[in-house]
Amino acid sequence: MSLLKPFSKLPGLNTANILLVEGEEQFQQSLADALVEETAFTVNVRLAKSLPLPLENEESRPRIDLVVFIINLTSELSFQSAEASLKYLDPGYFLGKVCFMVTNARNASVPTEQLDAVRKLAASLHCPLLFAEDQTPDGVTNAAERLMTILKVAAGLVPMATSLYLSSLTRCTVPLDIDQPSFE
Amino acid sequence: MEPSDSVGDLNCTMEAVTLSGGPAPDSSTGQKDTSPAVMLRIKQQMSNQCFEIAVQLNAGKSKRSCSTPEAERELPDYVDELERVKTNHFNSTLTLHRMQMWHAIGEKLKQNDLEAEALKAVSDRCMALCSHIKELQKESRDLQEGITEIQKKRLEMKRLTHEKMKEIEVLMCKKEHPDTEKYRAALEKGQANLEKYKKMTIMTQNVLRGILLACKVNWLDDPVLRDIAMTLEEFPVSD
Repeated sequence: MSLLKPFSKLPGLNTANILLVEGEEQFQQSLADALVEETAFTVNVRLAKSLPLPLENEESRPRIDLVVFIINLTSELSFQSAEASLKYLDPGYFLGKVCFMVTNARNASVPTEQLDAVRKLAASLHCPLLFAEDQTPDGVTNAAERLMTILKVAAGLVPMATSLYLSSLTRCTVPLDIDQPSFE
Repeated sequence: MEPSDSVGDLNCTMEAVTLSGGPAPDSSTGQKDTSPAVMLRIKQQMSNQCFEIAVQLNAGKSKRSCSTPEAERELPDYVDELERVKTNHFNSTLTLHRMQMWHAIGEKLKQNDLEAEALKAVSDRCMALCSHIKELQKESRDLQEGITEIQKKRLEMKRLTHEKMKEIEVLMCKKEHPDTEKYRAALEKGQANLEKYKKMTIMTQNVLRGILLACKVNWLDDPVLRDIAMTLEEFPVSD
């Protein structure tokens, strides 16, 4: 069991490294393809099903600037695997270097408790929560753009901004009415 | 650790090709043909990263000097403050965007070309729809007022009905009164009579009982006597 640490390695020159964690590997690949289209700097996308990351390529792995957990709302399993993976992250990552991306949130069959659980998780970890549409190419590009904005800050490519600073603006907060039953 | 995990991690490392001939991720040879702007940007990135690392180091140092309960106590205040600033920031951004958009639209309208015409048409239509909405809102407000007025009237009517009902009840009570007045004297007289005769009956019963006991007659043998003796208990001795 190895903890992934944000500052254990030296950063690469003009690069940004992003790790996409998704248990079911449905959205990862297309999102990665969209992410590497960035041309101003080098984007390294690494994919994983879950954390901890394997030890054998520990040496070759660059410093990870941003960890993204992709959660498919229609499957309980993806939420559980993301939750289990969180243990293998250094606390330093939660200062703005982790974000959650939820897919399939518009699906009518999704129970609202599931979304509430994800929101609570993101809020308790002070992480931003993004919603993405994984079925259409537009949605994928959009999601990649939003991730890229966070990644740029996390990798230090934006002058005068750090990920901690950004996270104080973007992190998810639980609305007050989440525990109250709706009277409908 | 699953095998597929490591495979995914190995295979899917992707690197975008930099257009401007930027340096490869970890080679120093590519740096020779980079433009000064790129160099400056890289310098900026490095200083940013150094700053972040320094912050991390300092955070580790200062952690020991701060007590946990105190920090926990102060946390909600800071969170509130943060939320406030965040909302403020979002609102200002929204206003700014709106202003920018209107400015852009205004500029476009000034240009007086085909698109401006279309924009004008759209805004005219928008205006017409808005005025229509206003009209409808006014109408609905009027109707609502009418409904309120009618409800008020109904309430008033209800109140009046209640009042009238009370009056009627009072009147009914008064009407019953003379009747009872008339019969009261007769009723009292009848009751007094009844009491009187009751007393007499009780006395007679006692006398009869005394006679029966004094004569030492076996009243059970004679059917007539027995009937009389059985009915002697009909009125209880009052005192």
